[in-house]
Amino acid sequence: MNEKVEAVVEYIQKNCLWQFFSRSWDRADNIDGILTKAGEIFAGESPAQETAADKCWFADAKILIAELKVKIPWFAAADKKEVKEILNGVKERMREIAIDKSKNEELKIPNY
Amino acid sequence: MPMTLLKCDSTIPEREKHCYIKAPGEDSTQYLPLANVNTIPGTLSERGCSFCGAKLVIGGVLKDTIQMIHGPIGCAYDTWHTKRYPSDNDNFQLKYVWSTGVKERNVVFGAEKILKESILEAFDAMPNIKRMMLYTTCTTALIGDDPKAVAQDVMDERPDVDIFVTECPGFAGVSQSKGHHVFNIAWCKEKVGQVEPKITSKYTINYIGDYNIQGDAVLFNEYFTRMGIQVIAHFTANATYDECRSMHRAQLSVCNCARSAGYIANELKKRYGIPRLDIDSWGFGHVADGLRKVGAFFGLEAEAEKVIAEEVAKWKPKLDWYKEKIQGKKMCIWTGGPRLWHWTHAVEEELGIDVVAMSSKFGHQEDFEKVIARGRNGTIYIDDGNELEFFEVIDMMHPDIIFTGPRVGDLVKKAHIPYINGHAYHNGPYQGFEGFVNMARDIYNAIRSPLWKFAGEDIRDQGASAMDEEVKVAV
Repeated sequence: MNEKVEAVVEYIQKNCLWQFFSRSWDRADNIDGILTKAGEIFAGESPAQETAADKCWFADAKILIAELKVKIPWFAAADKKEVKEILNGVKERMREIAIDKSKNEELKIPNY
Repeated sequence: MPMTLLKCDSTIPEREKHCYIKAPGEDSTQYLPLANVNTIPGTLSERGCSFCGAKLVIGGVLKDTIQMIHGPIGCAYDTWHTKRYPSDNDNFQLKYVWSTGVKERNVVFGAEKILKESILEAFDAMPNIKRMMLYTTCTTALIGDDPKAVAQDVMDERPDVDIFVTECPGFAGVSQSKGHHVFNIAWCKEKVGQVEPKITSKYTINYIGDYNIQGDAVLFNEYFTRMGIQVIAHFTANATYDECRSMHRAQLSVCNCARSAGYIANELKKRYGIPRLDIDSWGFGHVADGLRKVGAFFGLEAEAEKVIAEEVAKWKPKLDWYKEKIQGKKMCIWTGGPRLWHWTHAVEEELGIDVVAMSSKFGHQEDFEKVIARGRNGTIYIDDGNELEFFEVIDMMHPDIIFTGPRVGDLVKKAHIPYINGHAYHNGPYQGFEGFVNMARDIYNAIRSPLWKFAGEDIRDQGASAMDEEVKVAV
């Protein structure tokens, strides 16, 4: 499982700008919003698109899932439950990299 | 490898915290260069000033606006002849320079009188122009002029004009980055929300952090138009002053340069609930992903795919031709900040180039998180690189081509290494599908040019015939 989590994390690190938004709360919102919706999209569910923020996370999540299916050979064939577990692991790792262990001294400045 | 002290920095050991060489297994939680902090005394920094960030990067791009620089004439030097952001109204913003031309007597007796006279004179000389950016500089900030009061006085007298005052003198921050910040926040607070745009589509965006360098924004505007999307405001490429006052009406902020304009995207999210979607606009894969995301936001996926398919069919064969010729070459990116992370993955994945060293003039730690996540192992990552460091890096990495600005570019030329203007391009645009082919072409042309070899040879003792032979061989 860890190897699969790291494979997805590696893809996100190289390709996704949403992980490195300006402040810790922006990053937390993106990580949670996008990876939750990514799991729902993979499972064939219809993620909520009620707010503008929902729609924005949906857009990033949709392209992420499409790319992971192409770039990571085992991803497309994985079952829905396993992908949800993997993405939960990815959330934890992304929080660690982009927020909790980040050395970026600007993350907690209260204003933009 | 941890943070690295280059040999040339032995007398300024503080520089170790600004230079990192990435090793396998490392990420930005372990090592992250200091950035956006004071330049260390003694280092030959290549940074610009904070006024530069406000005026030359963002405000000065607007195509219908007088750009009044309140300061000595020298502060107006770096204007029309060095910037390359054209517009579709015959390049008004590139043709003229406005300055209050402050002299010593104004420093002694105050410069508000000359400021008001200059504002009125400029509006009188250009009666069709009703908008003005007014910038303070180091001199006029230090003497305590109140440009906002003067601007308000003029607006009271002439209700048909509008003036935006940017109080960001050169010394306000450690680099031009402070100018970006001050301009963004003040603009959103003071001007956005004042003008209602004409809505022509169900789908509306702001395209933020693009400055139409040699036509970049023209390409992206065309892609969005073909998808049926209205760009309410480009911030600030080829834009008018009033378009940028109507940014509050967009449904989505698409953000390209997160460093120079992420602030206004964040403020628009906070104040108006407009979500921020960051994209990379260089490289086929990046651009396609960006258009797909915008398409997914609006439910315009088919429209996005149509644009991508048409552009890829037209430009990919050309890109492939160049890739075959330039893959395996080593490249340095020594620019402002965001182009490090925008470009490194794109040129490595799509052109087969190895980016061996990157230096940022005004990037923040956020930019280094992005570029370390994307960049190769063994690559050197430097904040606020200085001249001696650049020479040492050249000796360490032996690059085939260097993307940097004109100041460092002259240094690079003396080392007889091909240089391309990484800020304003050589023959752009470089964004979009067509633009990335232009970028590949400029790399190919620069690397193949025989001039670099000639420049490094001294044939004075061999006479004119030797020179003729050299030319024949090259031709």
